[in-house]
Amino acid sequence: MRAAALWLIALVILGVIASGCIGGEEAKTSQAEVQLTGDFTKDVVEIGKILEQNGVKEVKFSAWGSGDPNSVMRVYGIVEAARRINKIWADNGINVKIVVTETHYVASFQDAYKEYLSKQPLGQAGDFFVNSYAFLPTLADEGYILDMTDYAKAYQSVIDDFYPSLIEASKYNGKLYGLPQDTEARPLYIRNDVAQKIGFDLNGLDEKVKNGEFTWSDVYYWAKKAKDEGAVEWGLIHRKGSAHPDLIQFIFAFGGKLYDPNTGKLVVDVPAVYKWLYVEWKFARDGLLPEDIMSWDWAKQIHPTIVEGRTLFDIGGTWYWTEWQTKQYYAKGGTPRGLKPEEVKAWFYYTLFPAGERGDKPVTLSQPFVWMINSKAGQLNPKYDELKDVYHKLAFLMLIKASDPDINAIHSVISAHLPVRKEAAKLIKDEKWLNDLKALNLDLSDEVKSNIKDIVEATVNPINAQFLADVSYMLEYTHLAPAHPKYPALADIFKDAVDKVLRGEMTPEEAVNYIIQKVNADPELKDSVEVQGEIPKDWKFPQG
Amino acid sequence: MRKGKLRDLSFFLSPMVLMVFLFYLIPLVMTVYISMTRMRNWNVDRYLTEFVGLYNYERLFYMFQHDPTFKAVILTTVVFVGITLIINVFGGLALALATFFIDEKPASSYRLLWLLPRMSPIAVYSLVWYYFFHGSEIGTLNSILMSLGIISEPIPWGQVTPWGAWSVIIFVNGLVGVSFGMIVFTSALNQIPRELVIAARVDGASSWQISRRILIPMIKWHLLYVLTWQFLSLLTTYPHLFLLVQWDLVNRDYGTTLALYVFNTAFGRGEQDQGLAAAAAVILSIIGILGGFVTLKVLKFEKMMKKPRGDF
Repeated sequence: MRAAALWLIALVILGVIASGCIGGEEAKTSQAEVQLTGDFTKDVVEIGKILEQNGVKEVKFSAWGSGDPNSVMRVYGIVEAARRINKIWADNGINVKIVVTETHYVASFQDAYKEYLSKQPLGQAGDFFVNSYAFLPTLADEGYILDMTDYAKAYQSVIDDFYPSLIEASKYNGKLYGLPQDTEARPLYIRNDVAQKIGFDLNGLDEKVKNGEFTWSDVYYWAKKAKDEGAVEWGLIHRKGSAHPDLIQFIFAFGGKLYDPNTGKLVVDVPAVYKWLYVEWKFARDGLLPEDIMSWDWAKQIHPTIVEGRTLFDIGGTWYWTEWQTKQYYAKGGTPRGLKPEEVKAWFYYTLFPAGERGDKPVTLSQPFVWMINSKAGQLNPKYDELKDVYHKLAFLMLIKASDPDINAIHSVISAHLPVRKEAAKLIKDEKWLNDLKALNLDLSDEVKSNIKDIVEATVNPINAQFLADVSYMLEYTHLAPAHPKYPALADIFKDAVDKVLRGEMTPEEAVNYIIQKVNADPELKDSVEVQGEIPKDWKFPQG
Repeated sequence: MRKGKLRDLSFFLSPMVLMVFLFYLIPLVMTVYISMTRMRNWNVDRYLTEFVGLYNYERLFYMFQHDPTFKAVILTTVVFVGITLIINVFGGLALALATFFIDEKPASSYRLLWLLPRMSPIAVYSLVWYYFFHGSEIGTLNSILMSLGIISEPIPWGQVTPWGAWSVIIFVNGLVGVSFGMIVFTSALNQIPRELVIAARVDGASSWQISRRILIPMIKWHLLYVLTWQFLSLLTTYPHLFLLVQWDLVNRDYGTTLALYVFNTAFGRGEQDQGLAAAAAVILSIIGILGGFVTLKVLKFEKMMKKPRGDF
């Protein structure tokens, strides 16, 4: 019995040794590094050859994205990039294929971030992750995303085609951790029909706003007039939720700041914050802005109030323009429906977010979405440890391809976000290209076409393209919320303070003190935030 | 103890001992350990070995002293657990007694009705109350009261602080929790010999007298069990609260208990601070242990655990 057991063990050991010898040559990795040259086809072919030599026939990647229903190109851009690279390989006789195994797309970008954060350390997060740049510092700081600074050097010509401010937003501590995917502006929408009723002349208003001649005191004046004359239920409707990023436009509009580049700390700019909260408080006290707007329902209250013309002003985003066309928010006359492009054009005037007071400048705010690469990208593929560099560079090249002007332009037109590349901005002004997009007569995979068909049908038209062209200038006035790991915590405190002044639970002065108290209550936040300035004495709103 | 008996005991108890060790003891030790590290954003590789001693506890104490929100969280925990506990225990008792005195068929249907909230998925159940208590005219309660002419303006129920927010979270959780006591008490009441009730009836006792003098004293231990169980359960419950706060139905400060604070700190949207959350969780566990101990002591749990008299 014992002899039999010994024989069995010896046999197993022999088997293991033999299996190690058989095929040992094949398991050897031939080349594990590649040098990017900036010639896209050459680099892709080089990577394809290395993968082929190492016996890799299929490379699996997954793409995680989030956002409104019209922004699905955030994941299908990756799918399309994979197809275009596969085509290059096929044309060059390379028998390797990229397969995008998962296109994970959810509505809430915050929830997507939470999911990524918890799954990345487990190696279960997507290889590509598109989300707000606001999360980039934390992800970079934790080592959860790939530093692509060196890769990008070879593709400087592509990088240079992105708008510089957006490239800056994709950096953390001077290193590039992402490529911009889209951006937007946040216009002040004004109802043409309501303005007409109350004698509010909108001709040339955008110029007055640009010059800082039309300020928030004027917004107040017309909002009050519209309400007093019974033309509307509310003077102003704005977004809700975390103060990031919409309402903090007030801080910039009152000449304030949120970040001190010299110290690297966040800033509570007391005078600007006080003025912001005072405006909110005043609007709410005079019944021009709902006291409980921060807990309004998006689909049942906020959007219907705007599209049905029950408010004169609305602080929104450029993406509202197509959202109003594709979502059934308008219920006047019975069945809820989306607006027609002609209706949106006829009913809404749009301009920059006005200056806080004379002497200040108008603003807008962008929250670019960026494509990021998981620092473990490609880990489920064969020989990951040996070919890590190759997989990472391939992932980078996929992002370069996903940033092709046409892919970016398609996303912009169908989701009413602004293009991030100059070449894409040119395309959306090209009538022929728009017609081809409308007919889906473009070089796109069937999978992508079938997934965007309905959105294209509902959104691609000259009116929407013109809107995008019209609002593009706003990027010159844009501000970004600070890319700081502690910013979300500060933004949450701002949100609470706004809610409290709107409801009348606190005066603007009390709310400013509340913010300072909350900042000081958390030692870590206190270390990251500077409180600057004093509450201005004898400041009046509205001003004459 | 005899060797044989020890072996038998080990054999029968070992699966449970192993379970307790794996699923209770190890997590508890890990929570205490994590509370003494800088663990954040799930970066186990980086932070798990970064030992900071009592730093997170000091942070919590500092916040307790200076942060009005944190004070509201503590107050909300006390009020929420206290009042919901009373509703769950005495509401469950009232339901069990009420159904005890009626025919079995309608009683069963009635009990089933009270079980519905527990059977509904949390999101669906919470959504029902979201629309019911919504602070605008789209809220069912507001629209009913407005159509009856009782109020002219919608009331933001969950945003009236503190009692509006507390009332909503207590109501919603109380409605779910009351069925647990009801089931336990019903089962206990059904074990009481009917002869005792019939005899009392013959002697002219009312339902109230029967309940007070006979039924309640006989289910005293069940009361103790439900009280302790519900106390610990309420102390750590958060899913309904999470949704109601997340959807802005109730005020964040006065709709957040310590358990939800732990969850939000560990899994929230901004920086996820597992070290701080673990410290708060340890404090929550200590409160739970102390509270449970006090409850058992006050209600003389040890009396129930006495060996029964008679042959053994």
